[in-house]
Amino acid sequence: MSLNLLLVEDDAVFAQAMAEELRGLDHHVTVAIDGREALAAVDSAPFDAVVLDRMLPKVDGMSVLQRLRDGNMTVPVIMLTALGRSVEKVEGLEAGADDYVVKPVAAAELSARLAAIVRGRGWTGSSADTIRAGDIVVSPTRFRAWRDGTAIDLGKLEFKLLAEFVANADTVMTRAMLVERVWGYEFAPTTNIVDVYVRHLRVKLTAAGGEDPIVTVRGVGYMMRG
Amino acid sequence: MRFRSLWTLTGAFLLAFLVATMATGFAIHGITLQTIERLVDRRILVVSDAIAGVPGDRRPADVFRRIDAAMRERDTGDIGLLLVDANGRRLGGNIALTRRLPLGFSTIARDDRIAGLSAGRALVRTIDGGMTLTTVAETEPFDDYNAARTRIYLIGFGSIVLIVVGGMVFFVVTIGRRIGETRRTVEAIIDGDMTRRVPIHRSGGEFAQQAMAFNRMLDRISNLMASISNVSNDIAHDLRTPLARLRSQLALTRRRADSPAQRDDLEAAIAMSDDLLAMFAAMLRIAEVEGGDQRAAFARLDLAALADQIATMMQPVVADSGRTLDIAALSPLPIVGDRQLLGQAMVNLLENAIRHTPVGTRIAIGVVATDTATILTVTDEGPGISADQRKLALRRFGRLDASRHDVGHGLGLALIDAIVRLHRGTLSLEDACPGLRVLISLPRD
Repeated sequence: MSLNLLLVEDDAVFAQAMAEELRGLDHHVTVAIDGREALAAVDSAPFDAVVLDRMLPKVDGMSVLQRLRDGNMTVPVIMLTALGRSVEKVEGLEAGADDYVVKPVAAAELSARLAAIVRGRGWTGSSADTIRAGDIVVSPTRFRAWRDGTAIDLGKLEFKLLAEFVANADTVMTRAMLVERVWGYEFAPTTNIVDVYVRHLRVKLTAAGGEDPIVTVRGVGYMMRG
Repeated sequence: MRFRSLWTLTGAFLLAFLVATMATGFAIHGITLQTIERLVDRRILVVSDAIAGVPGDRRPADVFRRIDAAMRERDTGDIGLLLVDANGRRLGGNIALTRRLPLGFSTIARDDRIAGLSAGRALVRTIDGGMTLTTVAETEPFDDYNAARTRIYLIGFGSIVLIVVGGMVFFVVTIGRRIGETRRTVEAIIDGDMTRRVPIHRSGGEFAQQAMAFNRMLDRISNLMASISNVSNDIAHDLRTPLARLRSQLALTRRRADSPAQRDDLEAAIAMSDDLLAMFAAMLRIAEVEGGDQRAAFARLDLAALADQIATMMQPVVADSGRTLDIAALSPLPIVGDRQLLGQAMVNLLENAIRHTPVGTRIAIGVVATDTATILTVTDEGPGISADQRKLALRRFGRLDASRHDVGHGLGLALIDAIVRLHRGTLSLEDACPGLRVLISLPRD
């Protein structure tokens, strides 16, 4: 997924390195070095998403976000900051950020999160009570899942993991994203909990035959084929 | 004897005061009565002697004459006299008796029905010829004087006691209220509200001065805390930013690297910077937990259910590592705390158990309640930690020799300890014979 991104970052070295890496991941990146420049850029051209540093000269990141939201600009925003305390995260999210990522972050992680947000915006949530990816159907309301019409017996966490994969089919999900969304913990796991659960899920999904629908994206995370 | 509270101290003081007051009252009353009695006794003895006369001057006629004279004299007109013969027949005098009084001194009261007498003393003696002379005098300046005096004592001493008791109660309540105000402030501050201060009363007395000094101390602590917090925020930004820069530079260099060997080397360098950043994140996390602000987000939760949830979540991870996890059957144990942090502590404990035990080890998690505490235990049957190394294990960056080359940054237990202390609990390590038992003891409210 190629996105047109605005990277707002006052640290030239960091901005250049991140921009180059993101470009390497097929994105188009425009760099703004302070809040005022960022607001001007957003006004002059449409962006798919904004990566916003919190501590910026002239107009700080929180104010930029505030002005965007006050001006009914719904462009997805990921806050990327060195301030990683829980209260600061909550502040960022309450101000209207779609995600809050603490520095440093791998470009691949950032790219995956951006893609998930942009896609998530497009996905309407659907009026039907089931979601589908390939031959896998999940009913979040009934806590049940089928592959090719056959019910799959899943534990609660395995079910949540599958539902997250299906809802974000064709989008790379990083381990950190899965921990936040499936396990509901904000702390970084030092265990391989995601890998273990994915392995269990794969066994159950392929028990009745069929190709493994989950793709491992090396060094980043996993993706379900749509 | 130790006085544990203001009230017991006051109670003891009041008791001592009451005993002393009552003893004084009774002593004064008793000594006064005794003195009056002695004086009256001496008086009636003198009168009795005078009437009885000396041997040889005791013919009935002489005695009668002296009785008459005594009754007429101003000095002795109030003295009661009675002379009876050997058969108890009345010979003369100015009183009548309803009972036979014993020889010698005795006390008479209203019951003896001597007209105009409510309390007095009597002296009975025999005179030659079988006659008996009874001399009676009042011990009260007016009727019912003793009862009146008791009333005076009760009213006088009683009002003193009331004033003292009232004063003490007022004193204790006032001091108690001031101490209570200070205590409530301290508790609020312990719970993370650094803005609370002790109210200052306009009186400007000792308490107000104490409160002002206390508040100044709190201002100072609060300033220090704010500057420490600023310092750590600065560290967060100032150190994280160059580290992030280093990491992105390494990542960029890796992208541009020509050979796979260079890429691998740079991959290793990135992993090292990630370790450094993880250690840094853990330190900041500990600082965040120790800040105490998080207590504001405490909510009621079931520790047993949380342990069960975490254990169920970690079960596949433990099984995957070739170890087994036992979950004790748990009944609900409500506590007040932070679900995220306690969950993190449990996950970290289970990770430690996996990391520091050989494959095949049994690990168990359980929650029990005692009268005073709710205790979470994570037990493994691994090699354990020797008694002298346990203290070191709890220290920040305290890594034991055996694990010095393993992954991890030595902050796991320090973070757990910070979380436990935030919940006003204690973290301890025990020998599980064999293996290690980690106990998190949280006080019950």
